[in-house]
Amino acid sequence: MSGHERRAHGHAEQGRIDAEGVFIRLGQGAEAFEAVQDVSFTVPAGEFVCVLGPSGCGKSTLLGALAGHIAPAHGALTLDGAAISGPHPDRGIVFQHHTLFPWKNVRDNIAFGPKMRGIPKAERHRQADEILELIGLGGFAGRYPKQLSGGMQQRVEIARVLVNHPRLLLMDEPFGALDALTRMMMQELLLDIWTRLRTTIVFITHDIDEALFLADRVLVMSPRPGRIVEDITVPFERPRRAEIVAEPPFGRLKRHCLDLLRPRPGTDTLPRLSPLGAPPHAR
Amino acid sequence: MPSPRSHLALVLASPLMLLLAWDGATRFSLVEQILLPAPATIGAALWDVLTRGYAGVSVFVHIGTSLWRVLTAFLLAAFVGVSLGLLRGLYPRIDAVCLVPFELIRPIPPLAFIPLFILWFGIGEVSKVLIIFYYAMLVVMLNTQAGVASCPEDKIRAARSLGASPWQVFWRVVFPASLPHVVVGLRVALAAALSILVASELLGGDRGLGFVISDASTFFKTADVFVGIVLIGLIGLIADRALTFTARRIVHWEGKT
Ligand SMILES: Nc1ncnc2c1ncn2[C@@H]1O[C@H](COP(=O)(O)OP(=O)(O)OP(=O)(O)O)[C@@H](O)[C@H]1O
Ligand SMILES: [Mg+2]
Repeated sequence: MSGHERRAHGHAEQGRIDAEGVFIRLGQGAEAFEAVQDVSFTVPAGEFVCVLGPSGCGKSTLLGALAGHIAPAHGALTLDGAAISGPHPDRGIVFQHHTLFPWKNVRDNIAFGPKMRGIPKAERHRQADEILELIGLGGFAGRYPKQLSGGMQQRVEIARVLVNHPRLLLMDEPFGALDALTRMMMQELLLDIWTRLRTTIVFITHDIDEALFLADRVLVMSPRPGRIVEDITVPFERPRRAEIVAEPPFGRLKRHCLDLLRPRPGTDTLPRLSPLGAPPHAR
Repeated sequence: MPSPRSHLALVLASPLMLLLAWDGATRFSLVEQILLPAPATIGAALWDVLTRGYAGVSVFVHIGTSLWRVLTAFLLAAFVGVSLGLLRGLYPRIDAVCLVPFELIRPIPPLAFIPLFILWFGIGEVSKVLIIFYYAMLVVMLNTQAGVASCPEDKIRAARSLGASPWQVFWRVVFPASLPHVVVGLRVALAAALSILVASELLGGDRGLGFVISDASTFFKTADVFVGIVLIGLIGLIADRALTFTARRIVHWEGKT
């Protein structure tokens, strides 16, 4: 086990990502293919980056490599200069569907990371309760995951990662399974937490509105094999209000993203069918 | 959906009606007593067996012998089945080694093996315990393996990213996640163990509830056959309730809404 040096909240010197010519191969033998091709980017400490791309383009794969669950075939992937090799609580990950432990109540779910590090019960429960307040679930410590709504489950999931004070927060379509209203609330909550903690966030989404509302920067990926086709800086000032989504500058940027994502003739990706025949991202 | 009160009334009325019909049939000699004794006759026989034993042996020795056989086999099967199931679920190589042998014997009904086991291990305790063990173990093993497989990959990844070592992932995540399946396996295995027990006792020996049934039928003591059946049914019911009660405490999160 390496470095457990704890950092104070709000300390933004750590969390810089450097990706340099990263290739990731998936599959075995004859079925092996490159899911991510020659991806390079840098994320300064404390930045909020969204990765936007069509389904199956390799977003989750890239995130898995940042988490240390998948090793790149080529290239360098570092966090604060240290190569990423294997998972570590410094790099927390949140998935689309919660991965809470149904046999533990909310408090013990959040205290899982500290428990794995051998922190005594009283102390890890204190830490869990502190984070519960931060995400606005103070009264739910004794509930079990199945007794919570989908939005609450995702909040607990985020809390379980934050209790480890990660330098990097990786999120794979974390709000993708929530209804529109809950999703908006979760987006604002996440921005609020991020403003206070200033961890670096890499956030994957299909949803252009979500990416533009949340991010400092949006990395747009091409269909499989995944490459980064554009690196968009989002100019909207913070704190952002939910209403900016309806304003003209937002609309212009959105149209630009839509053009980037729309499958071009001649590419071999199949457009997903939708009942209205509309392109999948034009919702 | 009937109201809880009328639901209960219906639940209780049907066995009472059956009992009445049964009693009527014997009272008016619609069936011969030697084929189907009256409920009261069976009650008297039960009392007789409980107080004076069967074939010169206290009934509690018969019950104890049967329980000992089934519990020894069941506990061994639970231990070996859970261990093997976990290993097969965790290590593809071990699974590959186990696959063909276990898949070959799995579809064979355990009763088909009883004569063979008696041939190999004699008519004593060993063959009875082994036959129960072998089948209950298969059931527990397969369910445990399914339990391990039921733990989603993302959950394992999340735990790793929260700082759990591979051992901690197994002990704190995969194992508890498999428990609901393990419990199902144990319940099925227990029911199977009791039925195999009776079958194996029918085939030989002079102790046990299966022996009581087969011996009584040989001498046309039909009421005593029913006594044996009732006692086995009661044991099965109590064992399953006890197991379910314990399991609910262990997998307390199942079915929580
Ligand atoms: N373990 C694997 N073995 C082989 N192929 C895989 C594996 N995992 C994913 N793939 C394939 O690799 C490609 C990239 O997958 P990935 O999950 O990274 O896409 P994604 O961009 O996250 O898609 P989505 O938006 O649908 O979540 C997909 O075409 C997928 O089918
Ligand atoms: Mg994905």
